[in-house]
Amino acid sequence: MKNSKRLFILIEAVLAAMVIVLAFVMLQEKNGRDLDKVSVIIQNSDDNQWSAFKYGLRMAAEDRKIEMFVVSTGGTLTAEEEKSLIEREIENGADAVIVQPAPDADTENMLRDVEKKVPVMLAGCTASKEKEDSALPVTEPDHYAMGTALAEELLKDYSGNIEGKTVGILSETADSEAAANREKGFLDGLKDTGAVISWSVYDSFSETDENALEFRSRVDFVIALDDNSLRTAGKYSAAKNLHGALVYGIGNSTEAVYYLDTGFAECLVVPDEFNVGYQSLTETAESLDDYFHTMQNRTVSYTVIRRDTLFSKENQEVLFTMSQ
Amino acid sequence: MKNKFFGRLKSVKPRGIQSTIMFAISVISISIMLILGIVMYIRFSVLSRQEIIQSTQKLMEQAGENLEDYLGSMRQISDAVYYNVIKENDLSNQDMDIQRGMNLLYEANRDSLRSIAIYNNYGSLMAAEPLASQKEDPDVTRQDWFKRAMGEMENMHFSTPHIQNLFDDGTFRYYWVISLSRVVELTNKGDSQLGVLLVDMDYSNISRMMKQINTLNNGQYYYLCDSNGEIIYHMRQIQISDGIGSENSKTAAKYKDGVYDETFEGEHRKVIVNTISYTGWKLVGVIPYSTFTHGMVNIRYFIMVLMLLMAMMLVIINRVVSVRISSPILKLNNSVMEYEAGEKPEIYTGGSLEIRHLGDSIQRSYEQIDTLMRKIVLEQNERRKSELDALQSQINPHFLYNALESITWMVEGERNDDAVFMISQLARLFRISLSKGRTVISVKDELQHAQSYMNIQKVRYKNAFSVTFDVDPSIYSYCTVKLILQPILENAIAYGVSSMDDCGEIRVTGTMRGENIVFSVADNGIGMSEEEVSLILTDSKRVHKHGSGVGLVNVNNRIQILFGKEYGLTVESEPDEGTTVSICMPAVPYTEENSRILEKGYIFSREEMIDRKTQGK
Repeated sequence: MKNSKRLFILIEAVLAAMVIVLAFVMLQEKNGRDLDKVSVIIQNSDDNQWSAFKYGLRMAAEDRKIEMFVVSTGGTLTAEEEKSLIEREIENGADAVIVQPAPDADTENMLRDVEKKVPVMLAGCTASKEKEDSALPVTEPDHYAMGTALAEELLKDYSGNIEGKTVGILSETADSEAAANREKGFLDGLKDTGAVISWSVYDSFSETDENALEFRSRVDFVIALDDNSLRTAGKYSAAKNLHGALVYGIGNSTEAVYYLDTGFAECLVVPDEFNVGYQSLTETAESLDDYFHTMQNRTVSYTVIRRDTLFSKENQEVLFTMSQ
Repeated sequence: MKNKFFGRLKSVKPRGIQSTIMFAISVISISIMLILGIVMYIRFSVLSRQEIIQSTQKLMEQAGENLEDYLGSMRQISDAVYYNVIKENDLSNQDMDIQRGMNLLYEANRDSLRSIAIYNNYGSLMAAEPLASQKEDPDVTRQDWFKRAMGEMENMHFSTPHIQNLFDDGTFRYYWVISLSRVVELTNKGDSQLGVLLVDMDYSNISRMMKQINTLNNGQYYYLCDSNGEIIYHMRQIQISDGIGSENSKTAAKYKDGVYDETFEGEHRKVIVNTISYTGWKLVGVIPYSTFTHGMVNIRYFIMVLMLLMAMMLVIINRVVSVRISSPILKLNNSVMEYEAGEKPEIYTGGSLEIRHLGDSIQRSYEQIDTLMRKIVLEQNERRKSELDALQSQINPHFLYNALESITWMVEGERNDDAVFMISQLARLFRISLSKGRTVISVKDELQHAQSYMNIQKVRYKNAFSVTFDVDPSIYSYCTVKLILQPILENAIAYGVSSMDDCGEIRVTGTMRGENIVFSVADNGIGMSEEEVSLILTDSKRVHKHGSGVGLVNVNNRIQILFGKEYGLTVESEPDEGTTVSICMPAVPYTEENSRILEKGYIFSREEMIDRKTQGK
């Protein structure tokens, strides 16, 4: 009798506990899990060159159900400015950040500090100038290979014979890993070809005109190693201020494509910025979903586009991502 | 396997009635509840699945209509340009009219239009709206829309989305368009020549329409592909072309309108296809099965909570019911157990009618058992006492002294023969008295005993009375209780004939009457009054002071203990006439077995004896 009473109370207690657990789970389900928030910090965020990148981020955010927010920035950021931006984002509830590192010697250390709080994914290039020194995960195209590819395209146009031709190099900065590797790749590609590097200009061309290309010595080829430089070169070329130099470059904005389309640029190497955005956010999402997941470096591809292949089916898609 | 199972079943300990009832009710009610819950859930999920599919179909029909409207309006624009502008005017001298007509149409539809352009059959631009500089060398004849228009001249052709590669508006932008191209007849200086009319629609219109229906965040989505499965709009179209994602559009393009089940990359899903007229495009709605489950998760939890609550209620109800049913039985059982343990409580009588009846009858039967037990003990005691008394009577010192006195006297008078007779009678008397300790002996022995006794008494009373034995020899071999005649004879001598001079007469008869044996001892003595007669068989204290001390009551008791209440003594007496005492016993043949059964007493022997009798018959 006593036993059955005890059993009865036990059964009732177990059932009640199950009801409570289920009700709790049900409420939890109803409220829905808060979406993870990821903030993206890129330099000059409204610039046309980020269209594909942002589109990639947006698609990944939809696929992975993540709240993604691109912080609005103007112009070039220093490591200090970037730090304060990141801290503000973390205060605002960002669970992870995707950062295009500022080309600054302090950036790596600053980002490592940040990483102790939230996962950090780098987009576009590593924080330290030497890729091997970088401890933070990065999603980037193979900058060195892109530089080499650009050199190969140049050589292809002249059947490998550019003996004595002069080359001018344009790059936004000399301090970022991306710029350094692209230049290194390009120079390695031109090794032993007899081409002469007449000048190298490292400037963002935003305000000053002191590096204005028209005052530079005449060269046969102008090599623009980033989107900004390519647009500058294209602009000069369109204005017939390059003394007939042919422009080869790396770019990922519709403006860059326009210069190729209109013949002011000969060849364009386009990094797959869509995938930089998509993969970086996917990787970040994985680390947010799984606490033990360590983020990996991801390398995305690039495409070499010529004027005659600009409207091929594959390249139209590249253009599609840029036009978003 | 089966044996093992049954073996285990058998080894299960018998449970209490309450737990059995509780277990049975619980099993039944919970299984009913489970079945109900599952059936309800299945029914509900089927309904909700149908609901989702129906609403999706409705949404798709609407979206399809919107798309058709849009494409229809593009066709109307194309028609209007062709029939109202191109056919009406000559390219050579009325180009301003053509431009104005095209401008009007463009301005009226500029939200959805990118451009309108007319090319001749060599691919040279004849007119375009909005006015923009043509690219250096777009080579339209190599472009897909131009080739398709020229390939099938009678039709209008909708292209897949592509980048417009015709004009340079100096904005560094590239437009994603869908081209509607057709061959038209141009009039140039009065001559008719073929040309192509191109209406470029803004892709963003279509993508906006598709985005509007793609707002659900539950895995369900819609995409648009052409009749070859080339994707026109898909939420993840870049991922698909990059190989990150994939879509089964090639298969979907082959479907006719309707709902299909398919498994794509391990995912089971429902596909709803709706064809857009004019174009052959397919609007495809995809509902992964996980969507159905996703919507059902909360219902599932809800039903589970409901079922658990019901289970809780049922357990309570089951307990109440089982307690109500079993508690009277348990109480009854407990009182019976206490009774068995030696205590003597009242047997529980309560609960339902049946239990009450059961309790009552158990109570009654226990009471009866109690009475019977007491009775048996009493009878046994009495029997032992009677027998002891009867035995004692045989060694009555007074009687023995008298007998021995007589013998002494005979020997002194040198009446040796008489002395020998006396001694031999005394010996016989004692032999039968002992009878190896038996209670039941044959009639013959009992008669022998009575005769020996009377012979001794006759000597003692100096033949003051006479004795006649008239017993039917056929009853010799039947059973009787030993030492029943002697006390009666003793009485007859003491009260009847001792005081009479020589004329006292005692007559002992024995006959078979029906199934009974009847002995009677009659004397012609002084007799008794009716009151005395009635006392003889009831008052056990009434014993003759010189006798054996064994009264007729004792004899009567012993007969009744062995044979039953219906047998025993009857006394008839008339003052101054004499007394007759009759003994009635059943006629039981004297065998070893019968005497052994009879020794136990009539309570045990009656049924066996009845059986025996019927067997004998």
